[in-house]
Amino acid sequence: MTSDIENLTEKTVNLSTDPIYKTNWCDMPEELKRECIGKMGFDERMLLRLTAKAERSLANSQSLMFHDGSFYIIGNHHYIDLTVDNGNDQRERKAKRNYKNPNDEFELMKYIWGVGVFENFLFFCDDPFFMEEVNYTGKIKAKNVDLVNCENGLLPKILQKMSNGVEAIKLSPDCNNLSEFPLDEILAIPQVQNSLYLQISNYDQADTLQKVAQVWINNNNSKIGFTFQLSTETHKLFNEFSKHFADRIVSESEKRVRIRTNNPDRHILLERGLDNVVTVDYHVQFFRLMVISAKMKESEYDDNCKEWISKMSSIYSFREWDNNRVQNVHVNENPENVANDEHVENREPIPEGIEDDDW
Amino acid sequence: MSSTEQGTSSAAPAEPTTAPESAAAPEVPESFYYVHGKDKVVHKVSAGALQHSALIHGMISNLGYTEEQAKANPFPFENIDGDILQMVVDWCNQHKGKPTPPEDTNLPKQKEKLFDLVLAVNYLEIKELLTYCCKQVAMMVKGKSPEEIREIWMIPTDAEDEAAEKEAKKRAGKEAAGETAAAAGDAK
Repeated sequence: MTSDIENLTEKTVNLSTDPIYKTNWCDMPEELKRECIGKMGFDERMLLRLTAKAERSLANSQSLMFHDGSFYIIGNHHYIDLTVDNGNDQRERKAKRNYKNPNDEFELMKYIWGVGVFENFLFFCDDPFFMEEVNYTGKIKAKNVDLVNCENGLLPKILQKMSNGVEAIKLSPDCNNLSEFPLDEILAIPQVQNSLYLQISNYDQADTLQKVAQVWINNNNSKIGFTFQLSTETHKLFNEFSKHFADRIVSESEKRVRIRTNNPDRHILLERGLDNVVTVDYHVQFFRLMVISAKMKESEYDDNCKEWISKMSSIYSFREWDNNRVQNVHVNENPENVANDEHVENREPIPEGIEDDDW
Repeated sequence: MSSTEQGTSSAAPAEPTTAPESAAAPEVPESFYYVHGKDKVVHKVSAGALQHSALIHGMISNLGYTEEQAKANPFPFENIDGDILQMVVDWCNQHKGKPTPPEDTNLPKQKEKLFDLVLAVNYLEIKELLTYCCKQVAMMVKGKSPEEIREIWMIPTDAEDEAAEKEAKKRAGKEAAGETAAAAGDAK
């Protein structure tokens, strides 16, 4: 009781130091209010949203840049992690929430998705009905999209929610249901077709490469530079690809297959990235498929496959396997790809039992 | 700083004193214009300083006024309080011909005038100053609770909003009924 009175007194004292405004926020036209909200940080907008419906609606209309937006839905754990650039080449972590009430969580998530413009958008979800539950009707604006261990049926639903302008998409299929991975559906999504980079980790369907190449062939005007990367344990992919496109082959070697498309200006180049770079006891293979100019000379090929292999987020998938196998993975001269505990920790989705509200 | 002098009316402005210009005087003689706000105090401002205002710059760019003509025809901004216009003129003079810094430390110290300044700056289309002012407004809510924000910014609660809306509808209905009755009376 005493502390309540003390708090109230403190609040009143604080309030009394604020000047009285002849003209105030409520006298400002909406366009100026929006301008001011545009200058507010995430925390201030969240507070303003709680004042009244009208302010909430204004705050919801102003976009906000996030460097990273990571959303984890694991069982009943809902966890949001955001970082913003503070303008001095430094990033500030803005939110780390774990709501008890899913409705609050959904509201917050919908707000952040609605206003957020994400440099990196990461989504981790094991609930196949999540998109129906959250009932988000807008679009998500992001440059790099990373859908990690999402339930397979959820992947197309999330990708369809992306607005145009997605540059890179990384997908890690649900390892328990690989046969249900909806590759055809994903490849048909315009947001995927209009991106520049697609990556699928640990996917073992033998016809994956030819399916992607076929989409590019069918889409007669695929962008030069469009790249697809795949990590797989299946051996047959390279040979299957050559066999499938035998009548289109321009050149073929142990490491590369180049095929023509229906567009005389475009070729498709398939490269294997495993040999002499990664030594493993198991048979993971890395492939890169690219739309290239038909004028590209063989001397212009990129022989350094270490760099593009390192783009594969293999660390995550290694976590799925048993420790003995993880310890046998070595990517030469590229410590970023070594799946040791330290690196795995950087992408740890959520520590067991975490329940913090510290923003 | 600009010079100011109490004017008697917009049609017959008082003679303003000459403003002390910045040390780096331009080689070509600069032209000056005159503005006044609600209080009729006339401010003499150089064309260079006025370039910050897209509105005024657009107005003066094709006028080709002589000094005498400019003096005789000050731009009236009756919707802007005199002290606010003074702040704006001061800012324009301080930033005349200079690249605007990313953060402005010369914003008004009187916080209660900030919203008036925002409205004036928006009207005068001074983009950089508007950005600074809006940042200042945004800073006001830092560390405040939603209740405090509502209190300081006089944001009506949802219930108050709804009541006001109902009242407005009721009034509009009454007015419409009155007009219909009056029209019927006229017809008779």
